[in-house]
Amino acid sequence: MTDAELTENIKQALGAKALEVTNPDRRRVFVRIAPADLLTVATLLRDRLDCRHLSTISGVDKGETFEILYHFSSPAANINLRTEIPKAAPRIESITPVIPGAVLYERELQDMFGMVVEHIPDARPLVLPDDWPAGNHPLRKDWKFERPQEIIPGGKS
Amino acid sequence: MKFQIPIGPQHPALKEPISLRMTVEGEVIRDADIRLGYNHRGLEKLAEEKTWIQNIYLTERICGICSHSHTSCYVQGVEKLMELAPPKRGMYIRYLVSELERIHSHLLWLGVAGHEAGFDSFFMYTWRDREVVMDLLELISGNRVHYAMNTIGGVRRDIDEGQKAKILEGIVTLRKRSEYYFHIGANEPSFVGRLAGVGRLTKEQAVSLCAVGPTARASGITRDVRKDDPYAVYDELDFEVGTADSCDVLGRVVVRVKELLESYKICEQILWKLPPGDIVVKAPRKAKPNEAVARYEAPRGENIHYIKSNGSDKPERLKVRAPTLANYPATVEMLKNGFIADIPLIFAAIDPCICCAERTVSLVNIQSGEETVVRLSELRQKAIERHRNAPPKRNAVWPF
Repeated sequence: MTDAELTENIKQALGAKALEVTNPDRRRVFVRIAPADLLTVATLLRDRLDCRHLSTISGVDKGETFEILYHFSSPAANINLRTEIPKAAPRIESITPVIPGAVLYERELQDMFGMVVEHIPDARPLVLPDDWPAGNHPLRKDWKFERPQEIIPGGKS
Repeated sequence: MKFQIPIGPQHPALKEPISLRMTVEGEVIRDADIRLGYNHRGLEKLAEEKTWIQNIYLTERICGICSHSHTSCYVQGVEKLMELAPPKRGMYIRYLVSELERIHSHLLWLGVAGHEAGFDSFFMYTWRDREVVMDLLELISGNRVHYAMNTIGGVRRDIDEGQKAKILEGIVTLRKRSEYYFHIGANEPSFVGRLAGVGRLTKEQAVSLCAVGPTARASGITRDVRKDDPYAVYDELDFEVGTADSCDVLGRVVVRVKELLESYKICEQILWKLPPGDIVVKAPRKAKPNEAVARYEAPRGENIHYIKSNGSDKPERLKVRAPTLANYPATVEMLKNGFIADIPLIFAAIDPCICCAERTVSLVNIQSGEETVVRLSELRQKAIERHRNAPPKRNAVWPF
């Protein structure tokens, strides 16, 4: 299947739900969707375009909003769903009813960006330690690491 | 009575600390839970502070065994961002090192599988032969682990005729020896019987849990990035994707054996076809705002990097997903309804770099809170013991 055919298929399968379909490179397709359509679009991609494998989910901090990219792959191409949610209310529906293997990537999003993934089957922290201070999300652009002042009991000799 | 067994998370010799908590009923595992993050290095955040070139050396240090995989995946993406066309010879050398790396990683894994199954001569022979390929890698790059071959726009070192002849010679030796050992392994009923039927993962489970690499291919899925999304030179090479339908540890061994033989073939083709010319093009210092998704078939499965640039000499975002992470949800399924004695084997079968070292397992009695500590060597001994006394699986055969 050529990329032009694939882009056409995606447009046909998703209809008005695909806000923008781009094909910047061979076998790479980016589809922009509204966050509310996520589950419907993922189901359509899985059932009609054979995108049963989710490679990973990337989050990007864009200042006022968070961009989330779902990197799907079908035997023909790598299809990336792109959606944006406001940073003030970072809520996104879990994709696990469609792709059960996505749970680790969603937990990573919650840890690193402080997004709230609704209806996630397992909401425990994935990579951050248990004593990590609440409200610190390392991959947000405004988060800077400051090494805490080292205090040696009894002072330096 | 149900027990919970914690395994891990820390051991100084481990490359990848992980905590596993098994709920067992007698000898049978009923549930497993994985906790990660003991070695989270904040690498994605760090990458945003470093330049495009510095990040090559950072990504090289993500993994000690497949170091070349991460840099190759990263530079593939950056080359796309910068719209560079790396010269053919450079590409051939880059993917020659990739395939040699796959050979050393799979030989290492086969040794570990033999060791966990109690077939230590298999382990010693494969690891002796791994030295042949390690020497070839050292011959090309000067290093045994971090080859530092990749740079943006090509590779850093060329290979000459003498090296080419030596590599071809090494491949012939490796192939001859591998075929002989695999003949022995396939005809050793106790080895095959130990692996067959252990750690089952059905095709449906592998698909829905997004398993990658040999783990997925052993469940009958023909997913290989080199075939599905042929990057750089792979569409010019003739090779096959090895799969197995047995959905167990035996299948994972078979897949890796097939891949080894295919990799020898690929290395020879690369060397025969090696075109003359430059090995690298000059890369700009900055990349204009753009984004790229780079995929690469690492020895353990699909490796994916998402790279976004903002016009400066540093990336805006670098997202890395290593193959082992993708295989964890599938591992939980494999462990369920298996035996405690099979934990080392099942866990080693996804090749997570953590079973190669000695581990400590403590058994906690939930009712009394009593804790006993079992070393992995004892656990392995127990496993060997158990299978020595178990009735032989007479119908288990090597599937090729």
